[in-house]
Amino acid sequence: MISVRGLRKHYTVYKRPPGLLAAFGSLFRRIPTAVKAVDGISFDIGRGERVGFLGPNGAGKTTTLKVLSGLLYPSSGEVRVDGHVPQRREEAFLKKIMLVMGQKQQLLWDLPPSETFALNRAIYEVPEPEYRRRLAELTELLELQDLVNKPTRTLSLGERMKCELAAALIHGPKVLFLDEPTIGLDVSMQAAIRGFIRRYNEQTGATLLLTSHYMDDVAALCPRVIVIDKGTLSYDGRLDALVRRIRPEKRVVLRLDRPAEARALEGMGKVVSSDAAQVVLQIAQDKVSGTVARGLATLSVRDLTVEDPPLEEVMSELFSQGRTRTETAA
Amino acid sequence: MSARSTVRALPTLVRVGFAEAIAYRAEMLVWVLSTTMPLIMLALWSAVAADAPVGRFDQRDFLAYFLATFIVRQLTGAWVAWQMSFEVRTGTLAMRLLRPLHPMVSYAVENLAALPLRLVVALPVAMLALLLLGTARLPRSPALWGVWAVAVLGGWLITFLANALIGCLALWTGSSIKVMDVWLVAFMVFSGYLVPVELFPGVLRTLVAWLPFRYQIGFPVEVMTSAYDLPAALGMLARQWAFVLAFLGLAAIVWRRGLRRFAAYGG
Amino acid sequence: MMHTLLRYLRLFRVQVRSSVLLGMQYRADFLIDGAVSFFWTTTALVPLFVVFHDRPAVAGWSFAEALVVVGWFTLLEAILEGAISPSLTAVVEHIRKGTLDFVLLKPADAQFLVSTARFEPWRSTNLLTALAIWGVAFVRMGKWPSLLGLCAAVVLLASATLLLYSLWILTVSAAFYVVKVDNLTNLFNSVFDAARWPVQVFRGVLRWIFTLVVPLALMTTYPAEAMLGRLSPLALTGSVVGACAFAWVSRRVWLGSLARYASASS
Repeated sequence: MISVRGLRKHYTVYKRPPGLLAAFGSLFRRIPTAVKAVDGISFDIGRGERVGFLGPNGAGKTTTLKVLSGLLYPSSGEVRVDGHVPQRREEAFLKKIMLVMGQKQQLLWDLPPSETFALNRAIYEVPEPEYRRRLAELTELLELQDLVNKPTRTLSLGERMKCELAAALIHGPKVLFLDEPTIGLDVSMQAAIRGFIRRYNEQTGATLLLTSHYMDDVAALCPRVIVIDKGTLSYDGRLDALVRRIRPEKRVVLRLDRPAEARALEGMGKVVSSDAAQVVLQIAQDKVSGTVARGLATLSVRDLTVEDPPLEEVMSELFSQGRTRTETAA
Repeated sequence: MSARSTVRALPTLVRVGFAEAIAYRAEMLVWVLSTTMPLIMLALWSAVAADAPVGRFDQRDFLAYFLATFIVRQLTGAWVAWQMSFEVRTGTLAMRLLRPLHPMVSYAVENLAALPLRLVVALPVAMLALLLLGTARLPRSPALWGVWAVAVLGGWLITFLANALIGCLALWTGSSIKVMDVWLVAFMVFSGYLVPVELFPGVLRTLVAWLPFRYQIGFPVEVMTSAYDLPAALGMLARQWAFVLAFLGLAAIVWRRGLRRFAAYGG
Repeated sequence: MMHTLLRYLRLFRVQVRSSVLLGMQYRADFLIDGAVSFFWTTTALVPLFVVFHDRPAVAGWSFAEALVVVGWFTLLEAILEGAISPSLTAVVEHIRKGTLDFVLLKPADAQFLVSTARFEPWRSTNLLTALAIWGVAFVRMGKWPSLLGLCAAVVLLASATLLLYSLWILTVSAAFYVVKVDNLTNLFNSVFDAARWPVQVFRGVLRWIFTLVVPLALMTTYPAEAMLGRLSPLALTGSVVGACAFAWVSRRVWLGSLARYASASS
């Protein structure tokens, strides 16, 4: 469905050194610096897959999404989305895709969202019966009944995002690019939107590409992740495999009746936190059952859970690893 | 912020303001190109005066007048009204209010910091004028040059304060661009920017005498082209500064009231 | 081909509908805008009065004839205010806020979408002012334009509008290159203002510039001459051909600016 080979995106930025004389000099001669936003990545995504793009800020995720949707021209490399070359911006291609951007919106500001829906229907040439059906579905799933006829500027951020999603899906795109769709939303709205996106994918078989800094988004939606760091691909595969590779340990949370003595905890594994009511241990995968058994025997355990370490920690570990790798290389 | 600390901060403010002004090359080109109206007017009036002088102006007089107008416009330009409107609309005025520096001072400094740039544009024109016309029309006495300098300062002050006043209206209405548009066209016509004020027929001339516009451009230009002797120039100077003080008072009142309303309603 | 035309006509209708709905929200603005427009137009006539105050003609144009040129200028301003400026100012806003990407994502021509985004025909109060100015001019001259002259004038109205639109597109294309775009409108207005004078007033290099480079002459002087019955057929064809050529050039520049936007940003 989506195939990317050796994608590179470079552009020039002009340095502006501080100081008055230098500023004056920049009028006549500028110092160009090449920025390699994306420096040679390749991957394939199949129809109906849900893939997450991960990476630190400035890694090149948004740039890649924009190249895939035809907004940016690659400096070099081959990109194909459903057989089309995005750069050509063919009408048939544009009708199949959509890009949803978190902090920016396509909804007309002073008019109700229903006007944007009507406009998009005309632009994407959606047949009337299909439009009505989809609009009804979206309104129900996203609970838009009270929102669509109020001017966009009067809606809250979460309400706007829901309407934004509806506007984006009016023409039933087969490929959906989402750039930080839940940024700035409260927790329950994030969950609602996540659930909705997942259902859209399941019902229509649309291919999904998502970038997000909220690990909950990625964990809930994307079984597969592609990690981009400084413009290059550093991982492409299943999320749980990535977690196991970076942090091949589990978290064991023991809720206690009586506070545990320090001696009792020795040798059980790395103690992440310990207070009167709860002890959190980090233990290698293979040692989990042994530790659990010992914990149950030696401590008065009221409740016990075994979990993966928080995704945020895994990610920051991954990114800092990348940084030390490039620092030592440099 | 006390006056002393304001003065201490001035060099940095000016330096940063200047750097901001020249940060974007394309913008500068656009702005330079958009101030060429006096030159177009010059072409027009030269054609009109081709057969016979208009009033006391023959072709060379028009050349002197409009080149002087170009220079004075560069020296006295201000655009605070648009800036304030923009900042009120986008809410960034709050940033300016948070700083321990009077916003009007910061606007003024930003404007003045770009002055060297405007001088760079004005200087070649001044050279050209000298080359083509010689010093025949320039004032002879140093006293008149002194009057000219004060007149330019007064012109700048009226322009700046009028802009500030109209900008303050945005604190009530959200955007005062339309009022600025009205002011601008009145300014262009009645200040001597498009037509030397002398050439206005009788009834309009009386009107113009009571409006502040001609003291923004017309008066400094007329001093520069020796239209007055010293006593007459001083008389006009007094009237100019009467307008300056009036605008100063008005701007101070409107600013304080507007600020109170802005703080009450959040803009 | 037919299908594309119909499609864009349908899109046009939808866009106009949006504009009307939007306009109905800001009714008070329309009255104020009309008043400001009128004030601008009448005050800007003062230099004309001063020029012709004590002489019968300048560069072969009498006061009444120069008024015809001013009438055309006013008419074009009306078209600018009502049909062109609102939507293209919206483009500048899009670029500033970074939402132009949404326009580029849509499967329709970007230039068409941005040009038809906002139609505010109620702003065109200057239409009436233009008619009034022409009325005064022709009454003073004691004669009225011939039928042929009027036909030629209508043709030139179309080409003048095309030129005006192309000039605006060129200005907006510059918005991709500059970061602070407010001065662009200023620039356009300063240059366009010279069109209120008959082009013969300007001599030498300036006349060539205003005829060929920034073809203000084709927008106001030639249509006025057509109405006055003194436009040669050569000049008429030249105007129409020139307008089409200019439109083609501005389209190329627009497409180039878009391509650069797609290549040079991140």
